[in-house]
Amino acid sequence: MPFSIQVKKLSKTYEYFKKAPGLAGSLKSLFWREKLYNEALKGISFEIEEGELVGFLGPNGAGKTTTLKILSGILYPTSGDAVVLGHAPWRREPAYQKQFSIVMGQKNQLWWDLPAQESFILNREIYEIDPGTYQHNLGELLELFDIKEIIDVPVRKLSMGQRMKCELAAALLHSPKVLFLDEPTIGLDIISQEKIRDYIREYNTIKKTTVLLTSHYMRDIERLCRRVIVINNGTIVYDGSVDDLMHSYADHKVIRLTFSHEYKEDNLGKYGEVVERSGLTVVLKASKKDIARSTATILSELPVEDLSVEEVEIEEVIRKIFNTLTPLKK
Amino acid sequence: MRQWVPEFYRTIRRYLKLYRVFLSQNLKEDMIYRSNFITLVVMDIGFVSISVILFKIIYSHVNTIAGWTFHQSVILIGSVGIIREMAYLTFRRGFLELGSHIRTGTFDIFMVRPIAPNIHLAFRHISLSESLGESIMGIILVGYGISHLDQWSWINVFLYILFLLNSLMIYYGFSLLINSVVFWVIKTQELNTILYFFMETSRYPGDVFRGIGKVIFTFIIPIGIIATVPASILIGRIGWHFAMISLIIGISFLTAGLLVWKKSIEHYSSASG
Amino acid sequence: MEADVPHFPYDMKKYITLFHINWQNTLQYRFSLVIYIAGYSLYIWVLLYLWSAVYREGQTVGNYTLSQLTTYYLLQLIINSVIFSYISWDVIDNIKNGNFSNFLIKPLDYFFYWFTVNLSGKILEALFVMMAVGLISIVFWGYFAFPERFITLIYFLISVILGIVLAFELDFCVGMITFWLTQVRTFKYMLQTLILFFAGAMLPLDLFPDILIRISDVLPFKYLVFFPASLYLGKIDNPWPSFAALLVWILIFYGLARILLIRGIKRYEAVGA
Repeated sequence: MPFSIQVKKLSKTYEYFKKAPGLAGSLKSLFWREKLYNEALKGISFEIEEGELVGFLGPNGAGKTTTLKILSGILYPTSGDAVVLGHAPWRREPAYQKQFSIVMGQKNQLWWDLPAQESFILNREIYEIDPGTYQHNLGELLELFDIKEIIDVPVRKLSMGQRMKCELAAALLHSPKVLFLDEPTIGLDIISQEKIRDYIREYNTIKKTTVLLTSHYMRDIERLCRRVIVINNGTIVYDGSVDDLMHSYADHKVIRLTFSHEYKEDNLGKYGEVVERSGLTVVLKASKKDIARSTATILSELPVEDLSVEEVEIEEVIRKIFNTLTPLKK
Repeated sequence: MRQWVPEFYRTIRRYLKLYRVFLSQNLKEDMIYRSNFITLVVMDIGFVSISVILFKIIYSHVNTIAGWTFHQSVILIGSVGIIREMAYLTFRRGFLELGSHIRTGTFDIFMVRPIAPNIHLAFRHISLSESLGESIMGIILVGYGISHLDQWSWINVFLYILFLLNSLMIYYGFSLLINSVVFWVIKTQELNTILYFFMETSRYPGDVFRGIGKVIFTFIIPIGIIATVPASILIGRIGWHFAMISLIIGISFLTAGLLVWKKSIEHYSSASG
Repeated sequence: MEADVPHFPYDMKKYITLFHINWQNTLQYRFSLVIYIAGYSLYIWVLLYLWSAVYREGQTVGNYTLSQLTTYYLLQLIINSVIFSYISWDVIDNIKNGNFSNFLIKPLDYFFYWFTVNLSGKILEALFVMMAVGLISIVFWGYFAFPERFITLIYFLISVILGIVLAFELDFCVGMITFWLTQVRTFKYMLQTLILFFAGAMLPLDLFPDILIRISDVLPFKYLVFFPASLYLGKIDNPWPSFAALLVWILIFYGLARILLIRGIKRYEAVGA
C-alpha cells in the first residue's frame, strides 16, 4: 500500500527569550535578552500507510502538536523532510490544503454565535465543494454523527460533546484524504469521549481516510488505533502495535480505596503493590489479570468505604517505556 | 498568456463569491447584537460632529487653511468617514482581531485553509456597523461640501469614487505593513491605535505639509494623500500628474504590504510555537 | 467597624508591594510604550504642520502664538500619559468576569488598590514620557516654549499631582458604572470623548466659542488638561483659587466614588453577578 505520510529526520527548534525574575530582571531585559533554544523535535522518522489510523501518544510538550502543525503546514521544520500526499506541507499549496483537515480540540473553528450549518456553508465555499457532493457528504455526516437536530442551534449553546461532533463534521465535508486530530476528546465527559471515538473509528472504516490522532488519554489510543507512536522529549520512543504496548507496559491497573475508619495494619502488600498511603486513603497497583480477584478480596477483608479501579496514567506508561528503551541521559 | 487570463478571471470570481458568502454570515452575526449596532451608529455620529465642531472653531479664527475653505475641509472629513467604512466592509476589523488570533493560536486555522490567509482574515471579520454612522455622516458632509462648491460635475464625482478606491488600497497596504509586526513581536494593541490616528490625521489637508514633511507624509506615511487626493479631485484642484502619482503610490503600498506580510507569515511559521 | 481597620504601617506595606509588582507588569509592555511615544511624536509633527498652515493665514489664533500652541500639544503628551487614568478598563473587566468577588473577601480596599496600581503605572510612564518629551523638544527646538519663571514649574507640578488624583477618581467612578450597566464599554467611549473635548485635549478651551467656554467652566474636566497647560504657558497669574476649586472637586469625586462603591457592592451581592 502507498504511504500517505512520510516523515524523515524531522527536527524543530524554537527560539525564545529568557526573562530574569524580579524588577531588576525586567529592567535588564529592556536592553538585553538572552536567547534560548528548545528542541521540540529531535529528528523523528515514521511512515503512515493510506487508510491507517495511528495514535500519537505522549505527555504535554512531547512534540505531538508540533509534528501535527508541521504536517499541516502551519510550521516550518528546522531540518528534515516530510511528505504528505506527495506535497511538502509548508508550501501551503491549495491543492494540498483541499485534501486534508485538522481538528484541534482546544480551538474552535466554528462561528460561535451562528448555527454550525452556517460554518458548513462557508467551508463549502472555501473548499469549493460542488453542490451535489456537498449535499451527499453533509447527509452522510449528519447521519453518522447524529447531529441533524443540532446544526440549527447557535454553536455557543451546544455542549462540548455536540460542538466537537460539529467540528468534526465541518472538517470532513470536503472528504479529506488525511485527517489530523489534535486532542479531539479533551475536556469532554466520559460518554461524549466514547461517542467521539466511535465516530472517528467508524468514519475511518467507511472512508479509508488516513487518521493521525494525538492524545494524552490512553483510552483514546487503546480504543481507536492499532498502531501507536509514543513520543517523549521530541524523540520517538515506541512505534508499534497497541496490543504489544499495553501488554508489555500497562499490564496493571490502579486501585484507589478509602477506609471507613482508621486501619493501621501493615498487610496491604498482599492485595497489590502499595503506591501511596496517607490517612484513610490508599493507592494500590494490581496486575490486570488479578484485578477482579484483588478487588473482591479487598472488599470482603478490609473496612472499605469507597473503592475505584482506574487505568494506569499514560505518563506512567511513558515513563516506563522511556526507562526501559532508552537509558536516561544527562 | 491565454492560460493566464481565464485563471485570473476565475480567481476574481471565486473571491467575489467568497466575499458574498462571508458578508452574509457576518451580517447574521451582527444582527444578534442589534442593540450594539444602534449605539455604534449614534457614537460615530457624535465623534464626527466633534471633528466638524473643532474644524469650525479653527475656521472661526482663519478663512482658509493651506488654501482649503471650511466647506472644502468638510469634504475631507466626510471622505475619511467613507474610506473607513469601506475598510470595515473589507479588511479593517480582521486586523483588529489579528492580535488575539495569534495569542490564542486560532491564526493556525487561517494557515491550513485553501484561501490566502490575509483574505481569509479580512473576510472572517467583515463589519457593516462598526463605522456605518461615520460613513452616513461622511456622505452627508461630502454632499454638503459639494453644494457649497462654485462648480462641480458628475465626471469629478466618478473620479472621486475611483480615487477613494485607490485610497482604500493605500490604507490596506499600509495596514498590512504595520500589522506584519504582530508576527514578530506579540503584545501590540497599540499598532491599530496608530492606524486609527493615521486616519484621524488624514482629515487635515495634505497641502499643509512642506519640505521633508511633504515627502514623508506622501510616500512613507501617506496621510497627506489618503483623503486629500480624492477630495481635491472632487473639488477640481489638482492636476492629473499628481493623481497619477497617487495611483502609483497606491499600487506600491499594496505590493509592499503583500510582500512584507508574506515574509512575516513565513517567520510566524518558522518561529511560533 | 473601627476594629477592622488595619494598622497603618502594616496596611501601607501591601500597597507598596503592589506598587512594585505593577512596575514589572508595566515594563512588559515597553514595546507598546515605545510605539505610543513614537506615534505621538509623529502626531505632534503633523499638528505642527497644520498649525503652521493656520498661522500663515493670520498671525495669531485667539491669544496663542504658534510656539504656545505647539507647546500646548506637546504638554498633552505628558498629560495624556501622566494624568489620565485608564484603569477603568481593568475595573470593568474585573467586575464583569466576577474577579471582583476576590476583593470582597480580602483585606484590601478596592479604591486604594486601584489608586496604587494607577499611581505606580503613572510614575513609570512619567519617566519614559519625560525622556521622550526631552528628545522631541530638542527636535522641535524653537517651537517649544519654556516658562519664564521657576515658580511656574512648581505650579505646573502641583496641578499635575492634583490632576492625577482627580483623573483617577473620575475614571474609577466610570468603572463603577459596570455594576449597573452592561454596555459600559460603549458608554465609556462616549463619556471619554466628551471628557477629552471639555478638558481641552483637542483644542485649548479659550479658542472655543463663548457658550462652550461657559459649559466647560462649570465642569471639572478642564482641570485635567487645560488648567495645567495654561499654568505652564504662564497664562494664569494667581493659580490659588483654581487649586482650591480643584481640591473641592477632588473631595466631591472622592465622596461620589465611595458612595458608588458601597452601592455597587450592595447591588453586586444582591444580583450575585
